[in-house]
Amino acid sequence: MIEESAARLFAGNVDKAVLEKFEAGVWPHKLWSLLVENGLTLALAAEGSGGIAASWSEAYPILRGLGYWQVPLPLAETMVASLMLSRAGLAIPEGAIALIDEIQAAGLKRADDGTWSGKARSVPWARYCRWALASVPEGLVLFDIALEDRAVGTGVVSLVQRTNPGLEPVDELGFANVKGVAQSTHPFPKMANPLLSFGALCRSAMMVGAMEWLLEQSVQYAKDRVQFGKPIGRNQAIQQSLAFMTGEVAAARMAAMVACADAPGIQNQDCDSALFSIAVAKVRVGEAATRSASIAHQVHGAIGFTYEHALNFATRRLWAWREAYGADAWWAQKLGEAAIQGGAQGFWPGITDRHFAHLS
Amino acid sequence: MASWALNAFEEFQIEALSIAPCSLSPECESLRLEVRGFLAEALLNYPSAKRVRNWSGSDPEFSRKLGAQGWIGMTWPKRYGGQERSLLERYVVMEEMLAAGAPVGAHWVAERQSALLLMRLSPELLAPRIVPSIARGETYFCIGMSEPDSGSDLASIRTRAVNTDKGWVINGRKVWTSRAHSSHYMIALVRTGAQSEQRHAGMSQFLVDMKTPGLIVRPIRNQLGEHDFNEVTFDDVLVPHEHLIGVEGDGWNQVSGELAFERSGPERYLSSSQLLLEMLDSADTKDSRQAVQLGRVVASYATLRQMSLGVSGMLSRGENPALAAALVKDQGALVEQAMPDIAHDLFGGVAPPDSDLAWAMSYTARAVPSFSLRGGTREILRGMIAKGLGLR
Repeated sequence: MIEESAARLFAGNVDKAVLEKFEAGVWPHKLWSLLVENGLTLALAAEGSGGIAASWSEAYPILRGLGYWQVPLPLAETMVASLMLSRAGLAIPEGAIALIDEIQAAGLKRADDGTWSGKARSVPWARYCRWALASVPEGLVLFDIALEDRAVGTGVVSLVQRTNPGLEPVDELGFANVKGVAQSTHPFPKMANPLLSFGALCRSAMMVGAMEWLLEQSVQYAKDRVQFGKPIGRNQAIQQSLAFMTGEVAAARMAAMVACADAPGIQNQDCDSALFSIAVAKVRVGEAATRSASIAHQVHGAIGFTYEHALNFATRRLWAWREAYGADAWWAQKLGEAAIQGGAQGFWPGITDRHFAHLS
Repeated sequence: MASWALNAFEEFQIEALSIAPCSLSPECESLRLEVRGFLAEALLNYPSAKRVRNWSGSDPEFSRKLGAQGWIGMTWPKRYGGQERSLLERYVVMEEMLAAGAPVGAHWVAERQSALLLMRLSPELLAPRIVPSIARGETYFCIGMSEPDSGSDLASIRTRAVNTDKGWVINGRKVWTSRAHSSHYMIALVRTGAQSEQRHAGMSQFLVDMKTPGLIVRPIRNQLGEHDFNEVTFDDVLVPHEHLIGVEGDGWNQVSGELAFERSGPERYLSSSQLLLEMLDSADTKDSRQAVQLGRVVASYATLRQMSLGVSGMLSRGENPALAAALVKDQGALVEQAMPDIAHDLFGGVAPPDSDLAWAMSYTARAVPSFSLRGGTREILRGMIAKGLGLR
């Protein structure tokens, strides 16, 4: 159900023209309204919050679809924020919600009067979001970051625009004595770094979608493009590259799907394997993204290097997404440290349990 | 300009990608604990220097112990000495053996391939005679496929069997036959008809008793200095008529079915495990270079385990995992083969010379080149995947 309606929505409303306009600075507000109307932003939220309490596995096709169609909207962020707020028993406000993950939130300080000051240096999608949900040691804080709404009495939010290689916003948010509009303790107390983790999970699934699209495009191009009197895909060199890429995409797909199955949501609150499987996914999917993008470009030749060709819309996003919410090296270090602490004894039981005792 | 999405409403249709996550039942998990308990005891004094050999290591006594536990051929019918347990239970036992570096080599091929072939194609004659002793861990097999002029290109084999009144008479030569010197039987793929337009026609499979007169096994030492594979010559080797397995001339199709099993198991990514374990025990959490590199290996291992388990899930549902198995084997060999290079990067020149780590590095570096050759070369596997993509 979710899968079909998301696919229909994306396929019918996202095309290269939408992406080009977006990259020229036009927010696709109609598309956003469609996603909201169809309930996608609240997919993970509890029914009491207006959501459908989908598990991460049920939501996987939406996230994969965001990557496959390269949907230029902060849907994943708003889905995660809605899950967190709903699980925390807070109201979910209308409008897009950005995430200030634990790495970004380290730049914020709380004063004695309860207001927040400091900088979150790279916040995906901030300029198009009305709200930002931050994960700080004390719990969650929801900020109103609409610039036109800032009132002197409640502090000042400033924004410096920056973009990633996918030409998506990763803006710097500055806070001066800003009061949160809502706060709570951590709704997933057993999960270290919940926003980084859920963000990484979303980007992993999105990268899988983008890679599946890349693989389809590359295989089709290899069949269509004729050089030396035959399709270039008849050459073993191209065949071997694309076969290797298929393996990378299959590995990425498995890692992302297992991470979704292990991640806690409204219904499934068990998260013993969540951190492990998400770390594994962000590392393995990130590596696959690096390798797949490289092969897809090589197969496409010069035409794939033009802005006009669709290829770069996916590859640029892969280079952006592999860095977001902890790059593969960041997560690999966490996994590696935990594996070293567990030693030879702990390794295999950790793999079969999908849980490392020292991972945090 | 390529269209934006090629199959907007269909699930992605590349067959090799169709591996779904597979979860194990509580019965499987309690069996796992049982196996771990058994291994802790059986391998108590089994040293790292031997565990490094993984499934190349062999110990008939250990094989018999496993047989007594009912852990060889555990999915087979009881009439053949099996336990009629599930494929996924077998998967759990296999992965626990390999992760511990247990010496399973003696019975490995017999259990993985030969017994299945006999039960499928000679269920009333050869299987009842031989398979129960495979399940007891007493009878071992080797596979005679490659020849001096036939490696990946099996259609070009020349070893030939001729039908006579007394039986089939085989002449020719096989090479790279692992464990021929310690096996009781060989399943040999030989030519029984002329080479024809159909490249894969005219081949048949035979059960050959390794004690048959005229059969000579000569060792070929490998670059580890070990005697694992052999040259086997057939000089008028007489094989009873009933040792023709399956249908005369259908050998290629029979072998192809076998290869899916040969490629799909956890032995295709776990072979370098002992080196990883040694690295984990020697590494320092504060060394970020070590942590990042080993963390990447962990991610690959965890993912490959899910893929390998997923292929097993396909087998247990009766699906054909040929392409998925080829893909997992390709991915698995990459990880196994990267291990000594990672070890070299992190510990080269600094591992204490007499340490288990140093030996694991030295041994594994020499062992891994064969991992993308045995059971189908990397190029052959990728060719199969490319065919699945519609490129050939």
